[in-house]
Amino acid sequence: MIFNVTHITKYEYNAPVSYCHNIATLRPRESKGQELLDYTIQITPEPTEISERIDFFGNYITRFSIQTEHKILKVTTRSKIKRDYAKFQESFKSPTCKNITMNNALLALQGMDPEVLEAKQYILESIFIRRTDKDIREYAELSFKGNRSIFDAAYELMQRIYTDFDFDSEFSTISTPIEEVMKEKKGVCQDFAQIAIACIRSVGLPARYISGYIETLPPPGKVKLVGADASHAWFAIFIPGFGWVDFDPTNNMIPKDQHIVVGWGRDYYDVPPLKGVVYGSGQSKLKVSVDIAAVE
Amino acid sequence: MPTTKTSWLNSYKTHQGNDEMYSLNDELKPYWDKLFKGFDKLGVNGLTARQKDIDWLLSENGVTYNVYNDPKGMHRPWSLNVVPFVLHQEEWNRVEAGLKQRAELLNLVLKDVYGERKLIKDGIVPYEVIYGHRGFLRQCSGMELNLEKFLSIYAADLCRGTDGRLWVVNDRTEAPSGMGYALENRSTSSRILPEMFAKMHVKRLSGFFQEFNQMLVGAAPGKKENPNIVILTPGSHNETYFEHAYMASFLGYPLVQGNDLVVRDGFLWMKSLQGLKQIDVVLRRVDDAFTDPLELREDSHLGVAGLLDVVRRKNVTVINPVGSGVIENPGLIPFMPTIAKYFLKEELLLPQIASWWCGQEKEKNYVLENLSKLVVKRIDRTNRESIYFGELMTLKEIEALKKVILERPYRFVAQEHINFSTAPNLTNGNVEPRNVVARAFCIASKDQYSVMPGGLVRVASDSETVRVSNQRGGTSKDLWILDETFTKEDKTRQWQQKSSVAISGLNDLPSLTAENLYWAGRYVGRTLVNARFLRTVMRQMAIVQNRDEKPDSEKLKVLFKAVTQLTGTYPGFIEKDKDGKLAMDNPYEEMLSVILDKKRVGSLAHTISMFSNSYYSIRNLWSSDMWRVFENIQKLWNSLVDSEDHSINRILKVLNQLITRLIAFMGLIEESIMVQQGLLLYFIGLQLEQSSLTITKCRALLTIKYDDQVEYELLEYLLTSHESLNIYRYSYRSHIELEHVLDLVVLDLDYARSLTFMINRLQKDISRLPHSKQDHQLSNYQKFVFEAFSKLRLAESSKLAKTKSETDFSREELDNLMKALSKLLYQTSQSISNTYFNHTDKQNQLFTQSFPI
Repeated sequence: MIFNVTHITKYEYNAPVSYCHNIATLRPRESKGQELLDYTIQITPEPTEISERIDFFGNYITRFSIQTEHKILKVTTRSKIKRDYAKFQESFKSPTCKNITMNNALLALQGMDPEVLEAKQYILESIFIRRTDKDIREYAELSFKGNRSIFDAAYELMQRIYTDFDFDSEFSTISTPIEEVMKEKKGVCQDFAQIAIACIRSVGLPARYISGYIETLPPPGKVKLVGADASHAWFAIFIPGFGWVDFDPTNNMIPKDQHIVVGWGRDYYDVPPLKGVVYGSGQSKLKVSVDIAAVE
Repeated sequence: MPTTKTSWLNSYKTHQGNDEMYSLNDELKPYWDKLFKGFDKLGVNGLTARQKDIDWLLSENGVTYNVYNDPKGMHRPWSLNVVPFVLHQEEWNRVEAGLKQRAELLNLVLKDVYGERKLIKDGIVPYEVIYGHRGFLRQCSGMELNLEKFLSIYAADLCRGTDGRLWVVNDRTEAPSGMGYALENRSTSSRILPEMFAKMHVKRLSGFFQEFNQMLVGAAPGKKENPNIVILTPGSHNETYFEHAYMASFLGYPLVQGNDLVVRDGFLWMKSLQGLKQIDVVLRRVDDAFTDPLELREDSHLGVAGLLDVVRRKNVTVINPVGSGVIENPGLIPFMPTIAKYFLKEELLLPQIASWWCGQEKEKNYVLENLSKLVVKRIDRTNRESIYFGELMTLKEIEALKKVILERPYRFVAQEHINFSTAPNLTNGNVEPRNVVARAFCIASKDQYSVMPGGLVRVASDSETVRVSNQRGGTSKDLWILDETFTKEDKTRQWQQKSSVAISGLNDLPSLTAENLYWAGRYVGRTLVNARFLRTVMRQMAIVQNRDEKPDSEKLKVLFKAVTQLTGTYPGFIEKDKDGKLAMDNPYEEMLSVILDKKRVGSLAHTISMFSNSYYSIRNLWSSDMWRVFENIQKLWNSLVDSEDHSINRILKVLNQLITRLIAFMGLIEESIMVQQGLLLYFIGLQLEQSSLTITKCRALLTIKYDDQVEYELLEYLLTSHESLNIYRYSYRSHIELEHVLDLVVLDLDYARSLTFMINRLQKDISRLPHSKQDHQLSNYQKFVFEAFSKLRLAESSKLAKTKSETDFSREELDNLMKALSKLLYQTSQSISNTYFNHTDKQNQLFTQSFPI
């Protein structure tokens, strides 16, 4: 499928900002079953300088500075993406994926081949997902057992998070610690993804955080509203010998074509869509809108 | 137990059996013998006297070390023991070679972990040792630098093991401290023990610091000839701030804080009085994670947003590079021998402390079984708080530690607990053994490393303590490397003749320094004027018998109200406070509060503390005399605050002394700081403050007409508090009259304490500021001062002294003039602030989040 994604981020300040430095992780990266056909970024006011680089995890990072005084910062990205991921669904049922037990995986992770080495960094603690407490490990161990397939375990973990946790957009912010999310059992997509990652790491397996978009389909018979789509986040687990498999605990599914990958890292900290330092004194109001239109 | 001929060592007991003075077979090393024979000539009294000289010199020079979390810890005096730590050149040669090798190895590790990561790929270093270290900054990966050696400054802590060799126990690579203290220790000990210096053939340090300076100059992008170099400090609360300031004034580079710098157009700039000035090299003492709030720790106010990007573009060089904290990593120690073979095909020259990294199964099990004998550290936290001494732990604590280790074994390293060597230390007239650690310093010098022929030796605080750290108290020693032959200092190689001139004048003054100088001027002026006025009022109170009683005389009431107006401590004597109490009912209590209550904004105590803060933050500009007088003021004031005796007489006595010392201090400022260094800003602040307070005083005392007798006395008080009574008598030889007082205190063009004189001076001073204009149109602040000056020149004392009519009490014309002047001076101050030190635009996060990296 081919999608046109329009992502608008708008900051309104109550006092003028004299200048600012920003970093955006908005340009979708190439990933399995996904191709970027076209991409533009438009920033108002016009940045004095703008540059792009590829970060440690292979994501596109756009850096820009604005030196004209402004009260509104608006960043609009338009991406045209070819998504052909659904076809991999069959491969998850293959023995190389499904038959890897946790014991197999832990043994394989002792290895030194480049793919394993690359994946192993996702076992360690990260900025937002620090040492996990007993609750998280116990929660993980209900699904992850030595002789059980880690694919099945991850699938079950996803289902359990979907069932046990309530979606509550009021409860958490980016800096709510996962322990608290675990205790209260509510949050949003990035909380659920991070809970899953914490669980998987607590048993010694690699898991990463994926930031992207999801196309929301209107209820049957209704017209889709513009801007109703959203930024989204989910997780992936590394299955040695097979590779990374994505899971979306918010929607209780393995992503197909409606999920669009922007970037990945150890947790949210590595791939925030937009962050920055402004010179000025006021408060800001944030508005984000995402629109995904299937072209064919 | 070894004994010796020198009387010093007769009672010297080296109970740990490993002492610097003795070789493995218990023979006194000849150079230690020589040192103590030299001390023989001084005798106990002589040596103790030299120690006192050292203590005096250090406190004279204001050498301090701040201790965190210790209320008495700020600005604690640095301490240096008169007995140096001595090493022979022959041994040092071997150590030097080992340090150079280690510096090079760590440099290669640093390049590799942010580059190809071959050490990990080839299985030389386990990935957790790097990836699991918080100092591994993924943002810095793949960065290209202008530097030949990534690791420009390297420090190692050395201890002598039981095998008689010096071992490496710690590597310092992030922002190594101590070099400045080593230099200060050297300059002190060479002054106090000059004859020993010559006799012992002590190696000199100046060549090393010349190379250090060359290293900074050479680090500039594009090999610029006269690069702009700054030293970035976290600020005056940092534990080693003294050293930052010391190095800044020694090397002659501006000392800046994060908010002095800004990133624009892909370059780094310093905000100076003139405007923005491009910076090429940053010697930073801010930790990695705090250097860039855009890409690293977002809650940092110590760094500069966008700095990493400027580094990436190779438009600035940061030393040591951001990210170098990852090799300050005891997790690397067990792998160093393999790393040495891998990179250099060499054996490791310097022995290192035995270490077990818990990320390996066998090592972890060994550690868990032997915890009570080991010292456990985090690989990425080597500060004292994160070190566990198994020996000192209870069984319960050990079990808890085991659990913590098992949770994330890769984060821990255990090290052997050894009794390192002791060295002689002069303690209360005796020479006693103390555990010591020596910090050695290496710097990149072109394609290799240079080692400082000396270092900083830290000494345990008592004979029982084996842990040595400045944070724990304890003293320091100078490290002498002894040569066979006398090396004369090569004067022609003096590094001072460097080609790069750092601060070329007022234009390049960092705006934060300028602002601090300006406020220093304002606060010293405020302290002096207020102290004088309070003294005048206290004297009057002393004459009144019952000090707690409500004053019945009109003049006292006016004076009290003036106190509130002058200090701005409203409601004070003017109105009832929020509990409905009137200070006028108990003036003594209110006066004590206005003088002593540090928490009350405007009180004398508060003003003095603001004065101290503003001076401390510019202490790199101080002379040692200034430091001494400053210390004196602090001591005097604290003795009053802490004392039980707050009688009027006691306070009067202290106020007298305070005033005298303030005047001495002000005199010293004028002669110790140059105008280009910002003295002009100090004068501007001082004149503005004194002018404003004179205006307030005149308004409080003169604008209402009282009975002749009251009026006469008020005029006398005004003159007294203004230190102008004698001048008045000399000039007018008459009864005190308002008109004459106004002429003298307000309108005189030649009298230094008169308002018109001060404003005229202000006018001249501000015209020298970079944005002032000499021709055509004046800048805003110039206009305000010019208007104030004109108003004063046009005023006539006879008119000012008049009330509207005989029955009217208010001197409207005087009041209007003062009101107008007050407003103009306020506008001047605002305009100067906006033009020169606009820090209102501080860096803020788009999103406020706070979490540690």
